[in-house]
Amino acid sequence: MPWYLYLALKQLFPSGRRLPFFTLISVAGVALGVALMLVTTSVMGGFGHQIRRMIIDTQGEIQVRGRDPLAAATAAAVEQALSSAPGVAAFSPYAQGVVMLEYRSRPAFPAVQGFDPARIRPVIPLERYLTAGSLDDLDDDSVILSSLLANSLGVSPGDKVSVYSPLMLERMKNNEVLLPREVRVAGIFQIGHQQLDSSTVLCSLRLMQDLYGLGHLVHGYNVRLKPGADEFAAAATLNTMLPPGVRALTWFEANADFQAVLSFERNMIFFLLTFIVIVAAFSITSSLLVTVVRKTREIGLLSAMGGKARDVALCFCAQGLVIGLGGTAAGLALGFALLRYRDNLVHLIASLTMGQDVFVKFYQFSQLPAHTEPRDVVTIIVFTLAAATLAGLMPAWRAAKLKPVEALRSE
Amino acid sequence: MSDLSPVLRATGLRKNYRSGDSTLEVLRGVDLAVATGESVSIRGESGSGKSTLLNLLAGLDRSEAGELIWGVEAAHQLPLGELTARRGRFLGMVFQSYYLIPEIDAAANVLMAARILGGVGAVERARAAALLRRVGLAERGHHLPAQLSGGERQRVAVARALMNRPNMILADEPTGNLDERTGDEVIQLLLEVCAEEQAALVLVTHNPAHAKKTNRQLFLKNGQLDHG
Repeated sequence: MPWYLYLALKQLFPSGRRLPFFTLISVAGVALGVALMLVTTSVMGGFGHQIRRMIIDTQGEIQVRGRDPLAAATAAAVEQALSSAPGVAAFSPYAQGVVMLEYRSRPAFPAVQGFDPARIRPVIPLERYLTAGSLDDLDDDSVILSSLLANSLGVSPGDKVSVYSPLMLERMKNNEVLLPREVRVAGIFQIGHQQLDSSTVLCSLRLMQDLYGLGHLVHGYNVRLKPGADEFAAAATLNTMLPPGVRALTWFEANADFQAVLSFERNMIFFLLTFIVIVAAFSITSSLLVTVVRKTREIGLLSAMGGKARDVALCFCAQGLVIGLGGTAAGLALGFALLRYRDNLVHLIASLTMGQDVFVKFYQFSQLPAHTEPRDVVTIIVFTLAAATLAGLMPAWRAAKLKPVEALRSE
Repeated sequence: MSDLSPVLRATGLRKNYRSGDSTLEVLRGVDLAVATGESVSIRGESGSGKSTLLNLLAGLDRSEAGELIWGVEAAHQLPLGELTARRGRFLGMVFQSYYLIPEIDAAANVLMAARILGGVGAVERARAAALLRRVGLAERGHHLPAQLSGGERQRVAVARALMNRPNMILADEPTGNLDERTGDEVIQLLLEVCAEEQAALVLVTHNPAHAKKTNRQLFLKNGQLDHG
């Protein structure tokens, strides 16, 4: 082992003595930073993962869309392409739009999506999210409402609501007298996503086609892939098979703006948390600078014994690196332990503050999601080790700059 | 001076210290030659430049003028990095304040001299153990410096200075922090082990009794060595 590394280790972990306070504090500072970065990126990753699952559960991995509603011939060509495409497990047509909903003079303007009840099950597991009613109860004169929308209107399964479509308003301009479509509430669903839960109506494809005057046209297809299939590769293959004017979009591309916001939030939080490690690195620098001053005569002695200035510098850089290694290892252990017991911690905090029920009501989750990407762990390790090693640079430079004769003479 | 060839030769060494506009001439052309195995003492009043001379001889500082020859090598012409590397092999140093590394035990402090020059193996460990035995600390090798007395620490420093089988030892008031009896013991030990190892010794001291024990006594006055 080179002498500078040997001495660095001995100065951090002296023979036969307790761990120095400086080593303990420096390692703890780095460890806290690493643990926080790991926990935060994992929880953010968990939310992202949960949102991905939610989007896929409501749209499928891929959506096939046209610029305009798909004509019968185009729809047939799309279905043929989807049937022969590798990786596609199931697909189901949809049509979507916006309607006005009214119940006891209370209006709402939700998004509406029509699907084929006979084909939807293998594509979208709607039953998983139904809190009242059943998919079997859905016919061409009924709708399923999202939970917050049902709450705001005050409707329950079995109630009847009035539906006005843009087509009806268009006809009213021509002085035609049209009555709203009366439909029964067949069920209520809750996805766990604020936007979807607050203002969404599900209905049969035929009802949606009636409301929008689409005839037999559809807006697109939701596609479910076989387990393990790569959505990006499958979408790329599909795009080579689909008729002109029709495109296959992955769930990621279809929600690109939302994904960009999520990614930005995640990166910003990661960026802000890096400052904890940077502050810890500054504390290492400060402590090592004190060590250089305290050990000035020893540094002079090393030079007197033939130690090169470069090796003296490396001794202090190595101390930064070793603190970084210790802090990273301890931080990862602490971070993974916190992630392991995150739900217990969240419930403890919730019960000590607002109470668990209020917590679940406001934050809409009873379990904190977490998903750790190996890439994030590698980034944290590399960043921390680099910061800790750089922290040793200034003390190292000062130590290397000391003139041996002045160092030996110092008081 | 001994008839043997000089292991160290300094000619016309000059050293000034500048303070603002004034210049203090500390060494004004010092000439010194030390033969292999010879012991030389340098005495002088406080501030006469004894430690400055020792630092120049060790290559820890550069002189304004003059030549410094280590063996057959012109040390004053070597680049700083090379000079530092050669120093570790050519000479060992003993200081008044011992300068042991507090985090490692006595044996590791002795081995540190070898470690800096390249590495530590069985040969080096055996040499360190033998040196510690020779300075009377065979049983104290695993003790930290803080667990040793002043005299014991200086003995460890002597063993460390001899670790790399140097051609010479430069000792800068090695008994300055010790009581009289312990100081006498350390000087006696230093002279004996230097003689056994065939290492020349340059001893800077205030103590006339210690100086008398060396082969040659020199006095530094007005920036020059009085060879008597």
